[in-house]
Amino acid sequence: MRERLSKLWRTLAWSWSPASERESSEAIVKNFWLHWFPVKVARASMDFNYSFWLGTASAALLAILTITGVMLMFFYVPSTERAYGSIKDLEYAVSFGRLLRNQHRWAAEGMVAVVFIHMARVFFTGAYRGPRAMNWLVGVALLFATLLLSFTGYLLPWDQLAYWAVTVGTGIARQAPIVGNTLALILLGGNQIGQQTLLRFYVMHVFFLPVFAWILFGYHMWRVRKDGGLAAIEPLRNARTSTPRETPAAKSYSLFGVTVGTSVAVRSSMQLEERDQVAASPNLIRRMMLVFLIVFNATLAAALLFNAPLEGPANPAVTPNPAKAPWYFVWLQELVASTTIHLGPYTVSGALLGGILVPGILLAILAAWPFLDQSPREAEGLWFARNRNRQNLVFAAITGAIIILIFVGVFLRGPYWRLYWPGMPRPAMPTLM
Amino acid sequence: MSNLGHNYGTVRIQGDDPAVNTDRRRLLRIVGKGSVLAAFLAQLGAAGRAFFPNVLYEPPRKFNLKRPHDYPVGYTFDAAHRLYVIRNANAFHVISAICTHLGCNVQWKGTEFDCPCHGSRFNPDGTVISGPAPQPLSWFEANESPDGFLQVDTAEPVARGFRFVPPNLKA
Repeated sequence: MRERLSKLWRTLAWSWSPASERESSEAIVKNFWLHWFPVKVARASMDFNYSFWLGTASAALLAILTITGVMLMFFYVPSTERAYGSIKDLEYAVSFGRLLRNQHRWAAEGMVAVVFIHMARVFFTGAYRGPRAMNWLVGVALLFATLLLSFTGYLLPWDQLAYWAVTVGTGIARQAPIVGNTLALILLGGNQIGQQTLLRFYVMHVFFLPVFAWILFGYHMWRVRKDGGLAAIEPLRNARTSTPRETPAAKSYSLFGVTVGTSVAVRSSMQLEERDQVAASPNLIRRMMLVFLIVFNATLAAALLFNAPLEGPANPAVTPNPAKAPWYFVWLQELVASTTIHLGPYTVSGALLGGILVPGILLAILAAWPFLDQSPREAEGLWFARNRNRQNLVFAAITGAIIILIFVGVFLRGPYWRLYWPGMPRPAMPTLM
Repeated sequence: MSNLGHNYGTVRIQGDDPAVNTDRRRLLRIVGKGSVLAAFLAQLGAAGRAFFPNVLYEPPRKFNLKRPHDYPVGYTFDAAHRLYVIRNANAFHVISAICTHLGCNVQWKGTEFDCPCHGSRFNPDGTVISGPAPQPLSWFEANESPDGFLQVDTAEPVARGFRFVPPNLKA
């Protein structure tokens, strides 16, 4: 019976189906949707203990966010009068509307975390050397896009969190030297947060930033393939070839002349032997589907268990006390709150120092790191390689500092942004003055 | 350059032929390509310019509040305009409630202003006690409109110590 059904399915759905590994490889090369998969993929690349499949998980989150986001667009109205009401409608009037919004929200927060952990994985395995440096830069841009998507996204419900987070966010932009006021004017579409601000953030959130992220994501995947796959294969390749690696004599492209200097070499896995590799179809495709399903179910479970927060409608007259940014920006809030310096008659606002200079410098170092890194190439593709100890420690220390700041901001800050140790009584704050 | 250059082999591109490639032709080619490129860039600039608003549908910066005698002595928060009206006997002054750090509303706590966002504290005259605020709170010009309302102009900052005494205040 089962055999007959599967036979029926084959005759209905397939004009042809692969009978051998070779045929399934050809299916990948010839298929429009699958062509960005390699034909063969190294076993080392597939190893969960190497990559934790974090890149695939980030991509799955981007897909989930796009699908749930487009669904939400059918119900959301980007107007200051109706935005909050349309979110309330999603929660109480639209069937499963709350579930959609919850899943979008938790997938968004998950993406910030997963993208960052993915970057930490790439750093700790030293997987950004040589031709992969370009893809590291793309990754940094994707991290930035993820944060911008989160920031633009949380203005949209037009609730108190949204309003005051954007007040603080655009206040930081205003402190940028020289261009600050112009930047704030363009972001807000005026001198204060209003209809123009909401519309601008909306268009950024639902069009420009997602398109930017998807294009970068496509390029990111293409580069992974053209740079020879995950760096996990490098130790194996180093062991196989006694002579030092030379530039592979394969095809090379210059992508519209953008990639000056390093041509995008098609690095074949020639040094890898048959037993080091498996066919991408079905192994890699099956694994990607598995990761997608796991991530989808994780966000769905979160959406079923926890509701996305929604505060009272935006009220310019009342600042919540304390007014906290979402957890992934709280460390910046801690910085802007504590880095104002007084030097005699001169004052440097914490908004400039902690809000722009410190994160800007961190981002610049992050982007420049592959070009500054002097560690030996033998460390490539190995977790916590001994000769990368120092830079791994610095990376871990900065990450740890950010996590501590997030912890302090989320758990220890009370009314008027004062420190309250666990167990200390906090004064009850009326929500309205 | 060798990386980026295209190898056309033996194919001669017409423009590269020294016999044909006269100064006049080269000039025409530069002018032609240049004007198309200039038009493209100008339109990009025009599209960018649209993001700078010419008309703002925002409340006017000069507005009327209540009548002076409606204000009790002390600090009164005006939520609609995000400022404090301070009455001391018959003298009025107006201090902005917008924190100079990142724009949250400061709250009057009886002896000082406190900011809920990042913990800045201000003296009753708006100068900074502590916290990240880089500057004192702004003072605005206060006046009386012809029809007897307290009038504030937030486009007109005034020095600390400014006082307005309404001429015909009914105590």
